[in-house]
Amino acid sequence: MNTYLQFAAIKFRNNMAYRFEYVMGILSTLLSFVVYWSIYRALYGTEEVVDGVTFSMVATNFIISLGLNNAFAKNEMFLQDKIKQGTIANELLKPVNFKLRMLFEDFGEGLFRVIFNFLPTVIIAMFFAELQAPSGTLNMMLCIISAILGYIVLWLISFIVQSWSFWLFSVWGLITIKNVFVNILAGAFIPMWFMPAWLRDFIKFTPFDSIYFTPVQIYLGELNGYEIVINFARQIFWILILYALSELFWRRGIKKLVVQGG
Amino acid sequence: MSQTIIDVRNICKTFKIHKRGTGFKGAVSNVFHPRYEYKKAVNDISFNIREGEMVGFIGPNGAGKSTTVKMLSGILYPDSGSINVAGYIPHRQRKQYVANIGVVFGQKSQISWDLSPLDSYELIRHIYKIPPTLYKQNLERFTELLDMGGFINQPVRQLSLGQRMRADIAASLLHSPKIVFFDEPTIGIDVVGKDKIRKFIKTLNQTDNITMIFTTHDMQDIEKTCDRLIIIDDGKKLYDGSLEGVKRNYVSSRIIEVELEDSHTEFDIPNVTISDANNSKMKKIISFDAEKVSINYVMSELINNHSVRDISIKEPEIDAIIRDIYEGRIVMR
Repeated sequence: MNTYLQFAAIKFRNNMAYRFEYVMGILSTLLSFVVYWSIYRALYGTEEVVDGVTFSMVATNFIISLGLNNAFAKNEMFLQDKIKQGTIANELLKPVNFKLRMLFEDFGEGLFRVIFNFLPTVIIAMFFAELQAPSGTLNMMLCIISAILGYIVLWLISFIVQSWSFWLFSVWGLITIKNVFVNILAGAFIPMWFMPAWLRDFIKFTPFDSIYFTPVQIYLGELNGYEIVINFARQIFWILILYALSELFWRRGIKKLVVQGG
Repeated sequence: MSQTIIDVRNICKTFKIHKRGTGFKGAVSNVFHPRYEYKKAVNDISFNIREGEMVGFIGPNGAGKSTTVKMLSGILYPDSGSINVAGYIPHRQRKQYVANIGVVFGQKSQISWDLSPLDSYELIRHIYKIPPTLYKQNLERFTELLDMGGFINQPVRQLSLGQRMRADIAASLLHSPKIVFFDEPTIGIDVVGKDKIRKFIKTLNQTDNITMIFTTHDMQDIEKTCDRLIIIDDGKKLYDGSLEGVKRNYVSSRIIEVELEDSHTEFDIPNVTISDANNSKMKKIISFDAEKVSINYVMSELINNHSVRDISIKEPEIDAIIRDIYEGRIVMR
């Protein structure tokens, strides 16, 4: 495990090297929050509650999604670049599990973003937006666990799409499409509460709501004990399915790998 | 006789190559009718390498050297045939297997661009779980042998190609592998740099009994480091044996350079080609096939019929031999 933590540490340190980047990172995170917050402020007008959802719940939804978005920051071109430039060869020469190594590198990046981009944003946002406090210590802990599970779900989806670069060589387009789907269906653009019932029912059958929405609901205390267990079970179910798929793509891909150049 | 450590039998690898048309029209038609062509990069190659051997792989660009090395190192799956290295099947047991080998790709750096070599080595120490004493000992030794003291703390992006390559070579050896593959480690490096690398490789092979495969285009690399040579062209093994063997068995052409007293002399020796040397009219270059015409005969013809000021017999350069082999002028037996 120590080996993989090193990958996370190196990534974290690499990020520290670019100081201007993280100042810009704070600004862009803050800016997205302000944009969403202003749109919903205008939509709510003088109302405090719409469809049983308070404005502060919406603001909290966005701040949590942004936090998770930062944590989920990952280099989605990683596999494609390695395959395109042929440097995948060097990766395969290391006695490590490639996927795990990639996961930890992304984790190092995410941790950096959370600490240096997200936390400052939360502190600044607290001055002008009413955010809800977590609905209890236990819920906060459960929220973190479910955020980690959500992270793995999202990571596996990304890995599966990336692994298509073994066949297609360029997956930028696919990744962009995937991100649009994830952002809409996972509730990062429009909170799940405001989606039409049929869409919410459909999303229930996909892995998307287990990415952001489950942790948000737990944080806000919207779920009771039984529902929390069900949601954890769903997250784990999707992790297993997606893991199996990612393993299948990886094994097939590596067999037909063409190392480019030299 | 030491044991066989690398056993390769009848391996083949075919690549599917995407054929693209040129220009806009080609690009459009490519979208609707992609065309492919199959290239046999490695075609039925077999060989054995014993523990501690140092083997040079040569062949022109695209001959299949790198593909062979990549299959040996577990990166590529062979289409058919079997590979066994130190008891492992490389592509099947990749993770366990690669802990035992080191690979240097001259064209692909394995150390991180933004970090210093030392930082990258730290990561390697964790990846390979190298015991601290061994790590320290290897690091000190390689720093000295490869003369890296001056740049080991600088970010890799600021290093020269020669420095980076030395740093790369050290990186692939820190875990004391038993087998090392060098894939064009001297590509693009100046004479001094090449020399340092060759000496280092030779030293390591002799003192640590590391088995090595060395691919290159530079015959000097082979002459200075390897005892055994495998020539590959067009995916097939053309020759496997000693460097001297190439000269002895496959090359019967000889060159005699003579300097004459009198530039107007006319020669005629049957089955011998005579040409003027470009720097002097008095010099002639005589080349012939030693199997058809004996050296004795040519020499006596020269000395008896002409007044010779100076004479020298030359063996063809290994580079020229290899060129002849590639171009099919020498047929391998």
